[in-house]
Amino acid sequence: MNSAVLKKTMYWFVVPALTMYLVFWIYPILRLFQYSFSDYNGFIQNFNYIGFDNFSQIFKDGVAGTSLSNTLIYTLVFVVFSNLIALGLAFLLNMKIRATGLYRTAAYVPTLFSAIVVGFIWSYVYMPDSGLIATVLSWFGVDGASLNLLGNYSSALYAITAVDVWKHIGTSTVIFLAGLQTVPVDLEEAGRIDGASSWQVTRFIRLPLLATSMTINVTLSLINGLKAFDYSFIMTNGGPGRATSTLLFEIFRMAFREMQYGKASALAVVSFIVIIAITIFFVLRLNKREVSA
Amino acid sequence: MNGGIAKKTLTHIGISLVLLLNILPLLIALSSSFRSVSNMTNPLQLFSEFSLESYRVAYDKMHFMQALGNSLMLTVISVIVVVLFTSMAAYPIARINNRLSKALYLFFLCGLVVPSQMVIIPIVQTIQGLHIPSSQFTPILMFITCSIPFSSFLYTGFIKSSIPIEVEESALIDGAGLMRRFWQIVFPLLLPVTVSVVITQGVWIWNDYFFNMIFISRAAESPLPLAMLGFMGDQTNPTAWNVLFAACFLCALPLLVMFAFLQKYFIGGLTVGSVKG
Repeated sequence: MNSAVLKKTMYWFVVPALTMYLVFWIYPILRLFQYSFSDYNGFIQNFNYIGFDNFSQIFKDGVAGTSLSNTLIYTLVFVVFSNLIALGLAFLLNMKIRATGLYRTAAYVPTLFSAIVVGFIWSYVYMPDSGLIATVLSWFGVDGASLNLLGNYSSALYAITAVDVWKHIGTSTVIFLAGLQTVPVDLEEAGRIDGASSWQVTRFIRLPLLATSMTINVTLSLINGLKAFDYSFIMTNGGPGRATSTLLFEIFRMAFREMQYGKASALAVVSFIVIIAITIFFVLRLNKREVSA
Repeated sequence: MNGGIAKKTLTHIGISLVLLLNILPLLIALSSSFRSVSNMTNPLQLFSEFSLESYRVAYDKMHFMQALGNSLMLTVISVIVVVLFTSMAAYPIARINNRLSKALYLFFLCGLVVPSQMVIIPIVQTIQGLHIPSSQFTPILMFITCSIPFSSFLYTGFIKSSIPIEVEESALIDGAGLMRRFWQIVFPLLLPVTVSVVITQGVWIWNDYFFNMIFISRAAESPLPLAMLGFMGDQTNPTAWNVLFAACFLCALPLLVMFAFLQKYFIGGLTVGSVKG
């Protein structure tokens, strides 16, 4: 620590990044709190402060509740399915077989596409009548024309979550695979010599050693899920009704389509508190469970 | 031994099926994009026609070369600045072990959980307040800012775990100043994590449409994802699918080509920060 290399002047190196971060990220977040107590509409600069009116309004007309529960369902489904599928895929791809490189590429390619492209392609998949799912169902004699996954209140939210899961799996799989490759082979062999079945090797040796990649993947997917916006914006426009209206989509809609900056800011403050609370809770819990090889 | 071979074949078939299902939507879209504009046979009849007509229409409609140029400009400038700023910021944070460093580290990391859509209203206000004109270059500010948390996190972890302070001490004896030590000794050693930052941040910046949508209003300044927004609505119109899918693949093509050549770095770049923990 007392090395001559270390000097307080080194902190000058932080200044460029810190300046940008403070001006374009932290300062706007603080302004958000200010706007949330005002009737600001984006045009008139001398706005009035109206106390907690924005907050009571967004809770009274149900916007906050609906978008909050949509976001939480989206996040839960997203975290569970993207990690389970990726974990399964990583175990498959970790087997000592040929062409794993090719398979890994096939698993990873969807992550390279822009959300907007993914949204367009999946709109085709879900399209009633001529879409992919409808056509395949009609081969089996099921009437696919009436199946409108994106247009249906009860299925739309799950349908857009599935798209995000599909796009995200490649990333999680690669991270799990890297984690699996750090599991020492002699540890697995020792387990087998002791008479552990392959299920037991997986359960008691591999899974605990995957804790680090598990923490990373769950954290990343949690953050990603709480940020849900893209597919509500591209595929469903928040609809039908408010069925796919996530917190961020609702903030965007209020601000840029209805010009209600004050109300949008109030919802943003609510989202901010929810997102921070959930993330901190999970990150602290996950970090406690890690073991090292 | 026969059992072993049969088991392996079964595994291959299983994996292939799962992954085929995974990329099926992409395959169907690709096959449709190779049809002439008016070919209305079911998209599920794969690769029944090879025509570049849809690509020609999409190419013109999205002003492909112009959009590609704009995308390149936005991504390259942003990524270079991100690498310079965050590697510099990470250096004292990783080297000096005190409360200030720890606080700065957590302060940057917190930015990771705040979504940009949430703070977009005051961001727009701040940028207007600073009299920064809303132009083609404005999104770059936000691309850089949003990349700071994750990139500085990667750099800090890497310097702490892999760049021992001894490499600098000998240079110090030779009289090298702070600037020279960082740029000539430390920065080159950061290459693996720089690759990781370039790829992870480059991909999201390249694919982002949100900030572009907010700040760029002129068609001539649109990068690729924003040009794709011009096709909004076509996704529910089956007669427009062939051109739409051609546009989708034109939009994805540059990254797919990059990936084909630099696959190892794409996959490796994802895991640099994660395996070490």
